[in-house]
Amino acid sequence: MAIEITRPGKYSLILSTPVMPAAGTVGFGDDFARLIDYERLGAIVTNPVTLDRWNPASGTRVVSMDAGILLHTGLPNPGLESVLLRYRSVWERLPLPTILHLVGTNIAQIRRAVELADDVDVVAGIELGLADDISRHDAAALVREASMTEKPLLARLPFYECYQLAMPVVDAGADALVVSAAPRGTARDPHTGRLVSGRIYGPLIKPLVLRMVGRLRRDVPAEIPIIGAGGIHAPQDARDFIDAGAVAVQVDTATWAEPKMLERISRDLGGWIATRKKDALMDEWHPDMG
Amino acid sequence: MVRNCSPLILKVMKETQAYIERIKRVSRDYQRLELAVDRSLSSLRAGQAILSRRVEKDYEVQHWNPYLRELWFPVEVQDSNIIVIERPAREDFIPGQLLSLIGPVGNPFRFRRKLRNILLLAYETPPGPLLLMLPALLSNQVSVTMILMGSSRAYDTGHLPEEIEILLAEDDLSWPDMVMTLGWADQVFALVGQGNELSYFEQLLQLVRGRRSDVPENYMFGVFQRQLPCGVGACCACMLRARGGAKLQCVDGPAFDLTTLRLD
Repeated sequence: MAIEITRPGKYSLILSTPVMPAAGTVGFGDDFARLIDYERLGAIVTNPVTLDRWNPASGTRVVSMDAGILLHTGLPNPGLESVLLRYRSVWERLPLPTILHLVGTNIAQIRRAVELADDVDVVAGIELGLADDISRHDAAALVREASMTEKPLLARLPFYECYQLAMPVVDAGADALVVSAAPRGTARDPHTGRLVSGRIYGPLIKPLVLRMVGRLRRDVPAEIPIIGAGGIHAPQDARDFIDAGAVAVQVDTATWAEPKMLERISRDLGGWIATRKKDALMDEWHPDMG
Repeated sequence: MVRNCSPLILKVMKETQAYIERIKRVSRDYQRLELAVDRSLSSLRAGQAILSRRVEKDYEVQHWNPYLRELWFPVEVQDSNIIVIERPAREDFIPGQLLSLIGPVGNPFRFRRKLRNILLLAYETPPGPLLLMLPALLSNQVSVTMILMGSSRAYDTGHLPEEIEILLAEDDLSWPDMVMTLGWADQVFALVGQGNELSYFEQLLQLVRGRRSDVPENYMFGVFQRQLPCGVGACCACMLRARGGAKLQCVDGPAFDLTTLRLD
């Protein structure tokens, strides 16, 4: 099966199955190789990478909540050059495409980062993470700069600005939209008693993002693929995103609680899409089939 | 320099199923779960942990509360496939309960070759992660002193081996013959409660520095028991800043030489 997850063209990105881990979930390379069969996945998306090194956040990083977590890591990474140097050979050994998740706060950084990434053949695509509080103008400018890449460009939209940013980002040259980054929230750390801000993950995020995907699918030109990301914890969740108009999905923190779930979702969605296209009966496909 | 999140060497880690074979109440506040585990976990050593999640027989049923896997440090490895976990008595478990385990997580504690006397400090936490080392230490004629500090003093030690000297610290964290104990110890392992680890470790390190002429490298280790989202080095949520680069609790820990960590 071949799933095209970016707009058709010279640099289109085609996956064998429409499921991948979200940025920040499986590290930079093969950290999860002992727990997940990578051959079952469509691609990996790396942890967020910045041009320069970023240090970890201080204070509480994880707050457990009912059926979810708040996470605030500060996106620590050794900088793009170090990541490319260290993981290039790892990516070459992986049996699936690698999508590099870039975080950039200004045009100069994005320009340099794209230049570096373009020199690495094994990077199959770039996913640009847009900041939560970014303006439409700035988002478009960053995407326009990033679209100078020779690789397919996916733009990951921030949760609260999804509707406002989608069209400017598409017009600026994004080849696909990832909807969306996890929403930000605040929770009290039971150990310290302090309020902590960070991104929120859990099954309850899914209905919120599912609605976004459905609405954006109507608003955004059909040639721009949408990748659903948020709150996917079961095969049916992923199917719901496809029904809402996504061409592929990204699974985030469910992978940590149940590493095999990522594989299972991948097997299910791949098989479901294949059989659906052939008008097979629904009960002819089961997620645990090979 | 920031450490790259991913480890260079893949650990021999895997996901296996286990079940609770027996539950024993060992004190008013704690119970011990005997888990029948895969043989791959029978070689767990002191310092290594497992990430546990309760599962149903029907794999279709998934519960997401608690959301993340719990970090469990075994307190005993009984034979080829039984490991023992100590949990608060208020938590509900039933014999036969199925568990999904990922492990081993982390590295074994490193002891000095000529270790004769060891000092264990537990501050604002039950001492569970320090207990698996006890049988091996005692069988090697190592003298063990455990100091319970802060809320750790409420931990009932009646079920621990009698050979261990157990002292309760005062509110100011001092204990009887403190200078002598610290001078006599060849190595110190300190375990602190979650949330304020760095400041607790800083307090303990200053306490030791104030009573010893020097705190050499590989003398005082801090044991971290933070909640680990991924446990494999991917999420970077357990990253610590250290001399020579960042470290990850799940991959490089759980014990770190406190003289090498940035505790500010």
